[in-house]
This record gives sequence, C-alpha cells and structure tokens, in this order.
Amino acid sequence: MNFALTCETFRTSGTEPMQGVDFMQNAFAMMLQPDVNQTSPPSYAGSDSIWQQISESLHQSLYRVLSLLLAVLPGLVAFLVAVVVLSLVGMAVSALLRRGLAAAKFDDRITRGGSNSDWMTSSSPSALIARVSFWACVLIGLIIGVSAFDASYATAALPPSSLMPYLTHAVGAVFLLIAGTLFARFLARSVLIEAVNAKLQYARLLSLGIKWLVLVLTGAMVLDHLQIGGNVVELAFGILFSGIVLTLALAVGLGSRDLVSRSLESHADRSSERLTAPPATSGADSGDSIRHF
Amino acid sequence: MATTDQMSEMTAPAAGASPELLVLLTAMPQEQLESVLANLTDSLPVESLLVAAPEAVSKTAYPALRIVAAPPASASWTLTAADFVSAYQAADKNKARALLMLGPQSASLGSAGLRALSNAVLTTATDLSVPCYDLTPNAGLINSAILYPLSRALFASRVRFPLATELGLSLRMAERLAGAAQRLVTVDQGETPLWPINEASVAGFAVGQFDAGPHVQEVNPGLDLNTVLPTVTGALFSDIDAKAAFWQRPRQLPPARDPLPQSRPSDGAVDITPMVQSFRLAYTNLYELWSLVLPPNSLFGLKRLFATDAAQFRMPDSLWVRVVYDFLLAYRLRTINRGHLLGALIPLYLAWVASHINVAASGVSPESHIEAVAAAFEADKPYLVARWRWPDRFNP
Repeated sequence: MNFALTCETFRTSGTEPMQGVDFMQNAFAMMLQPDVNQTSPPSYAGSDSIWQQISESLHQSLYRVLSLLLAVLPGLVAFLVAVVVLSLVGMAVSALLRRGLAAAKFDDRITRGGSNSDWMTSSSPSALIARVSFWACVLIGLIIGVSAFDASYATAALPPSSLMPYLTHAVGAVFLLIAGTLFARFLARSVLIEAVNAKLQYARLLSLGIKWLVLVLTGAMVLDHLQIGGNVVELAFGILFSGIVLTLALAVGLGSRDLVSRSLESHADRSSERLTAPPATSGADSGDSIRHF
Repeated sequence: MATTDQMSEMTAPAAGASPELLVLLTAMPQEQLESVLANLTDSLPVESLLVAAPEAVSKTAYPALRIVAAPPASASWTLTAADFVSAYQAADKNKARALLMLGPQSASLGSAGLRALSNAVLTTATDLSVPCYDLTPNAGLINSAILYPLSRALFASRVRFPLATELGLSLRMAERLAGAAQRLVTVDQGETPLWPINEASVAGFAVGQFDAGPHVQEVNPGLDLNTVLPTVTGALFSDIDAKAAFWQRPRQLPPARDPLPQSRPSDGAVDITPMVQSFRLAYTNLYELWSLVLPPNSLFGLKRLFATDAAQFRMPDSLWVRVVYDFLLAYRLRTINRGHLLGALIPLYLAWVASHINVAASGVSPESHIEAVAAAFEADKPYLVARWRWPDRFNP
C-alpha cells in the first residue's frame, strides 16, 4: 500500500512524465535530473558540452599560470637587474681599490709591517681586499634582488608559496654549511697534527671524532636554520652528539686502555725526567742526551 | 710591551764619560747574573763598560762597574725582537760605541769568548761578532739540520750558529737590527726571534765568528720541541720570504774554517727508536697532509724510509734538502695553514735526527755530516729559486 502510494507521488511530483520505464529507472532518472533552481545548468547530455568543459578548464589553468608568471616576472627582472648592476658596481669598486692600493704601495707596507698571520691567504693583501669588495657588492645585489623578488611576489595577490622563506633561509644555511665544513676540517687537521706530535696512537680516531662532532653540530644548525624537522632535529642531534662523545670515551677508555695508559706513563716519565735532568740535557728528547736547541 | 723609549727610566751612568761598550743582559737567575758580571770584570776593562741588567744587582759587590737598570724583559729562551729594540735605545741614550748582548744561558760563556766578541766590534771593522759554541754531537740539532744549512745556502754565511744568544754589535748594526725588530714589535710580534746574520748579509756588514768554548744550557721546562721548532722555523721562513730579492742572486761563500770545529765526545749511546716510531706514526697519519706539500719523488723517498729498520735508518741528504725547501715554498705559498705546516715538519725533523745519529754512530764525524748536509743545501739552491719564481711548473 505504501509502495503504491510512493509510486503515485513520484508520478505526480515529477516535472515531466516518464513513461515506458519501470520504477528503478524512474528513480535513477530523477537523481540525474537538474535542479530547477540552478542558474546555469551544465549540459552533460552531449559530447560537445564535455569538450567545452575541458576547454574551459584548460583556459582557466592557462590563465592562472600566465597570471602567476606575469606576477613573478617583474620581481624576476628586478632580481636580475639588481644582481647585474651591483656586480658591475663591484667590478668598478674592485678595480678602483686595486689601483688605489697599488698606488699607495699597500702590499709593501703590509709586508714591511711584518704581518705573519697564519690566516692570510696566498693572494696579496690588495688583491684580497679588491676581491672581498667585489663579492660584497655581488652579495648586496643578491640580497636586494631577493628582497625585490619577495616583495613583488607578495603583492601579487596570489596564494602564498612556501618557496620564498626557504630561498631566503637557504642562503644563510649555505653559509653555515660552508663555515662549519671549513671549521671541521681545520680543527680535525689541528688535532691530528697535535696528537701525532704528542705520539698518540689513536690520533686519527681523535681527529675523525672531532671532525664529525663539528659536522653533526653544523648539520643540526643548518636544519634548524631551515626550520626543517623542528624538535625531531634537536632530539636527533642530542642523541647523535652524545653518541659520538660516548663512543669516543668508550673507545679511548676501554678499547685503547692500554694505549692510553702507555701514553700517560710515557708522558709522566718524560715530565719527571725533565724535572730531574741535569743541566747538560736541557731540551732533551725522551731523557736521552739529545738537545734540539 | 711598550715599545717607545723603553729606557727612559734607566738611571744615567755615574761617570760622565760615554762608555765604549754597553753590555745588555737579559733576564736570568741571580747566580747566573753574578757569574756573568764576574766574567765581565775579568775579561774587559771595567772603566769602558756600562752594564744594563734587568735584575737588581748589588753595586757593592762590583764597585768598579757602572750598572744601570734595563727595562724588564720577558724570560725568553733566545734573543727576541723586543730585546734588540731595547738594546739600540740603550746604546743611543748612553752614546755607546758598541753593544754586547748577552742572552739567557750566557753564564757559560768564558772570559776569552766575551773578550773576543767585544774586541771584534770595538777594535776592528766587524759589525757583528757571533760565537761558535763547542757543543756535544747531539746538541743544537735544529741549528745543524735547518738554521745553519739554510743560512749558508741562501745568505752565503758560514756562521755556524745563526741564532746565537750572545752577540757583539757595532752601533750601525744595532740600529739596523732595531729597525727590523721595531717592525715586528709594531705588529705585536716582539717575542719573535730576529736573524742578525741575514740582516748583516743584506746590509753588506762585516761578520766575524769567534770560538766561545763549551756552552751549557739550563733546563727550561716550558721549552719543548713542539714549541721551539715551529717558532724558530716559522721566524726563519718568514725572514727568508721577506729577503727573497736578496738571496735569489748567486753569491760567493767565504772560505771554510780550517780545520772544522771538532765536536766534544758524545754523552753516550742514544736510542733512536722513539724518533723512528714518531716518524712512522706520522707517516701513517700525516701522509695526506705531506702530499699537499711534497712532490711525489720526496713522498717515495719517505715511503722507503718508512719501511727501513731503525738500525739501517738513513735519510739521504738530498731528501732532507728537498723536504726543507718544499716546506719553505709551501710556507711562502700558504699551501696549507702555516701552523699546520710547521707542525707537520716536526716528525720529519725527528727522522733526520735519527738518521744523523745513525750516521755518527757509523764512524762519520757529526760535524762532517752537518757540513755535507749544508753543502747539499747549497747544491740544490737552484731548485728552490726555480720553484720560488715559477711555483706552478711541473714538479715530479
């Protein structure tokens, strides 16, 4: 009874009478029927309307991409102009400095001043200053360019992208990485030479341990600077750093116990012999009658 | 350390007459100071002397001597740049004709040595008089391995101890050395050793060498090879770098002393095993570092040395010469950090010492071996000059 009533209701409430179909077909057809309140009814009936939809979608996406490119293009041009202009300025400043310092005999003055620092490079001081000034200008150009690019990108009323923050942070991260790697290499070499001259058998192990400690520290700083990983990086760094320290301590304390004790004993022997040595053996090596100076 | 007018607070000499010779003493223990003063009164006419001593000296003990206070100097193991600045200021202030600088450990210098050093600069045309010490065969080895051969090969000087701690100076020599020292003091390197022989050679001043007899040094606990070798070689390499225009020109070496000074007998057999082990440890650890500095031929020589037993351990003179020259070139070119470079030289120097002791033990006179090494440095000087001028040229 109820079923018959429902069928009747369908028949009377439909916009168009559907004849020659059974109840299930009617129900499916009703589900596909468009809403009468819809303003622009899509036409799924024919293949022309589907192609039209695809075409519209493609046009819209093309429009979006072109709009994005047009929004980015001024910033990109500004970036390139800033880098090129500041590079040219840097070249001019560098050339001027080079000539000015050569005229003032800057290199001769520095050499006569007896500068003997371990940190000087193989280049002459004036060439170094000129090169630093050039690269400083290029760096300033890069910073200005990135800022201009960032500003134009932000004002383009486009959806924010996660690229720019990483781009700006990446510059700092690269500097951190380079500085950390150089420092690790320098420290490892210093420790290696000192350990070898102190006659420590585990010199290479010590040097490698120091190197990796600094590299791990650098890696953690870089990831932190890039804001990657968050607390996971800090935790992993803590575990890794502690692990390396513990490994070194165990290696030196347990694995190389005999070596360490021998080293300490020989060092103590040398010290005691030095203190008790007669005047003729001043500066002696291993308590023998060798005097280096 | 203050560098300007360091002698301003110095007490003027009691007598009005200008002293002939100013004797400048560096910091030393009281008993050594008294010994030096006793030697001075024995060997030189006291009326022509003015002694500048940093420590308080009892004038009643030496009434004939005119003693003034010298500015406090650092207790260095050798004469430093700051000492030369002070010395010239003192000589200029007191209008002395010549100077006698007596560094630490100068108590062992006898009266004859003091007299010879002083008379050379007072009575002859010598501008710089230096002592030739009589040492045991195993003493002064840095000097024998590096300082003397380099000084002889590059500056054409036969002075056996270029870094002597007792010197006689004419006033113009003192002025020149003070000028060189002042440049170091200005850049806060007043503790750096100065190279009087090199300065005298560049200036064309006359240099005299005099036998000084046995020289005994007291123990200095803070002085070890790892400190001394980098300090001395670094200062010498730097000086050679600064005087490159001078030493690249060929020069005639003065005639050899005849006969060669004979070393005193050795204190006994020396065990070279620790030094050979140090070299082997360094070879396994520092090979990569050495390969940045040394050419393949030298590395091959070191490899052969690595495989040699301690009893047969001999470093060829030519190999040692190339090692020193290549380290000098790397110092100039800053191939690696200079501190690292000089640290990496220490095990190679120990290998030379082990080899030298073996050569001496085989019956060869140590002094003859040192002369042979110096001659090898002279013979290979063209290699240094060529690589100094064209460092990028192929070097097998």
